Amino acid sequence: MSEPVKIFLLLAPALLVIIGLFFGGLLVGLLHSLGYMPVIGLERFSLQAYRAIFSSPDFLRSFLLSFHIAFSSTLIAALLALAAGLLLRRQFLGRKLISFLFQLNLTVPHLVGAIGILYLFSQSGSFARLAYSWGLIAAPAEFPALIFDPYAIGIILQFVWKELPFIGVIVLANMQVLGADYEAVARSLGASRWQAFRFVLLPLLAPGLLSASVIVFAFTFGAYEIPALLGAHYPAALPVLAYRHYTDIDLAARPEAMAMAIVIALLSAGMIALYLRFVRRQLATHKRGSQMAPFTGQPGAGH
Amino acid sequence: MALHRFLFSILLFLTFAAGPVARAQTPADADLLNLSWEQIEAQARGGEVTFFLWGGSDAINRYVSGYIGGILRDRYDITLRRVGISDTAAAVNIVLGEKQSGVTEGGAIDLIWINGENFRTMKQAGLVFCGYQEKLPNNRLVNWDNPSIANDFGVPVAGCSTPWSKVQFAFAYDQARLSEPPRSMAALLDWIKANPRQFTYPAPPDFNGSVFVRHVFYHVAGGPEQLLGPFDQQKFDRVADKTWALLKGLEPYLWRKGRTYPTSVQALEQLYANSEVALVFNYEPASVGVFIENGTFPPTSKGYGLSDGTIGNTNYTVIPFNSSNKAAALVVQNLLLSAEAQYEKARPEIWGAQTVIETDRAEPVMQAKFAALKQHPAVVPAAELARNALPELQASWIVAIEKGWLANVGN
Repeated sequence: MSEPVKIFLLLAPALLVIIGLFFGGLLVGLLHSLGYMPVIGLERFSLQAYRAIFSSPDFLRSFLLSFHIAFSSTLIAALLALAAGLLLRRQFLGRKLISFLFQLNLTVPHLVGAIGILYLFSQSGSFARLAYSWGLIAAPAEFPALIFDPYAIGIILQFVWKELPFIGVIVLANMQVLGADYEAVARSLGASRWQAFRFVLLPLLAPGLLSASVIVFAFTFGAYEIPALLGAHYPAALPVLAYRHYTDIDLAARPEAMAMAIVIALLSAGMIALYLRFVRRQLATHKRGSQMAPFTGQPGAGH
Repeated sequence: MALHRFLFSILLFLTFAAGPVARAQTPADADLLNLSWEQIEAQARGGEVTFFLWGGSDAINRYVSGYIGGILRDRYDITLRRVGISDTAAAVNIVLGEKQSGVTEGGAIDLIWINGENFRTMKQAGLVFCGYQEKLPNNRLVNWDNPSIANDFGVPVAGCSTPWSKVQFAFAYDQARLSEPPRSMAALLDWIKANPRQFTYPAPPDFNGSVFVRHVFYHVAGGPEQLLGPFDQQKFDRVADKTWALLKGLEPYLWRKGRTYPTSVQALEQLYANSEVALVFNYEPASVGVFIENGTFPPTSKGYGLSDGTIGNTNYTVIPFNSSNKAAALVVQNLLLSAEAQYEKARPEIWGAQTVIETDRAEPVMQAKFAALKQHPAVVPAAELARNALPELQASWIVAIEKGWLANVGN
């Protein structure tokens, strides 16, 4: 058996699942969004569903809310992960324990975390009860609304809590690969700690940080269960709105639900393309770094 | 909720012009109906019945598989196969698919637990075996003069299904936090304004949130009488405009100032259990007792009904037109309707479901048992609720009300 045939046969099971199930499902969703659902008698392609959702204020509000959730979660998680990485790369007493605790919630499912947020931060949750016993509030309604609120604070809290170690682990790994050499050289050439960080370390970390952030953004934009559990009724995050349309009694809503799903999928695909670009740039950076002497520096190191 | 709404719309498209009900009766059905009950029982012996029903309650599953299944096996040598589903529309979908592929005999399903839009879908599409009411000996226990039994969400049963249980909407409050709850809809609306942020309701199309909005709808219309019957756009618009204005005016006094609503009745139950709101409600009043027993609700909770009535409905079992063992399915239905089975179901530690038969038509022994039934002290007695029972509207009204709420109040 020739080499290409062997490779193809070995890959066939995985390809079957990916192409058959995943892309097959995506294709069916695309067809439905274009109005092609022969099982209920719709046999003509049309962009009616897309026109309907793009002209609907509900869709716009849900899109903006999802974007706000994704952007805020990603930004906060990335900044905190960077800070955590800077702290954790040094040796200090108890570092192993702190590192372990830092990564512990990687294994906790999102739903469990969401229920934890509910228990802690709802207006009748643990913190509210603490505040009540300290006499700070007199009724549940006086505790600030962090869950089911229009700013999605509870949702962002949950995503930051969960994605922080995800980005943090990647940042830490990158820092370990880079080592302390570049900063040491920069410092020895007279850069302050801030300049060494801003002009040497940060650009080196940027591709890794950005690629992880892009994944987090795509995930939080398309996540359904957290906004469904912790979100306000209106406006609902985009995946929640899509699901509501999907289960609507009015059949005209189903192509619209699929159209929303395709919009989410397109956004995620865009994010993946960005991710690949950053990863390629990161690989190029590392390759160049290992070939060149550290003295000749990197782009952005002040040359 | 997904598939049955999907199917409801299919049939709106496809069978819009089909006025009269399509009674699906094969020649074999006519022969079956000519037999005596003893002959039907003999034919049913040794058979297998596949019963599709909502599987979300362990208590119900145990009752059907254990108690009912045991009697069928011991008395009739019938094997009962219980299939739990999450949405009755799935079962309707199976029968519909079988009819469309020409499977008119030997279908997969023999019995379905059903009501409302799903029953209407099946009846309109000719998916139901009808006309056997008189054959069931226990049919005499059912009061078919009661319009809430003779009609399923406004659709006449017309001998196409057998009643099984009744539910009726009821409220509950915490006696330790509230001395006297509002006991009528008007009193409730005033109470909400006088006690801001102590009340909310789940957003439709949640089943319980939807029925609460329908109560307000009835209140604005001055009663359900003119709303019964097929959907009337003008009647709807008149009442709906006032209802939405009322509900929007209520928003500043609701939980979270009405800026958001709980998305399900489970969320509302959590709010009540955590003392964020003072009132909770449910189609199934027995749930108050269940929640008190498992520690979710405060033990001082107490259920109550409204003086101007609450909405109740009956649920049924149907035999699909292509059931492979109609005789055995009839035997099962007769057993479900029997006084013994209805009593067992009514016991609060088994299920606590309200009986659908007239207990004074049963044997004196069973009557005494029914009378001695101890309900959980916190649960409002079904008989008390039944004194003010309001009927359900037809499915088309319900859909319009839900859509109207989402467009006018829910955003």
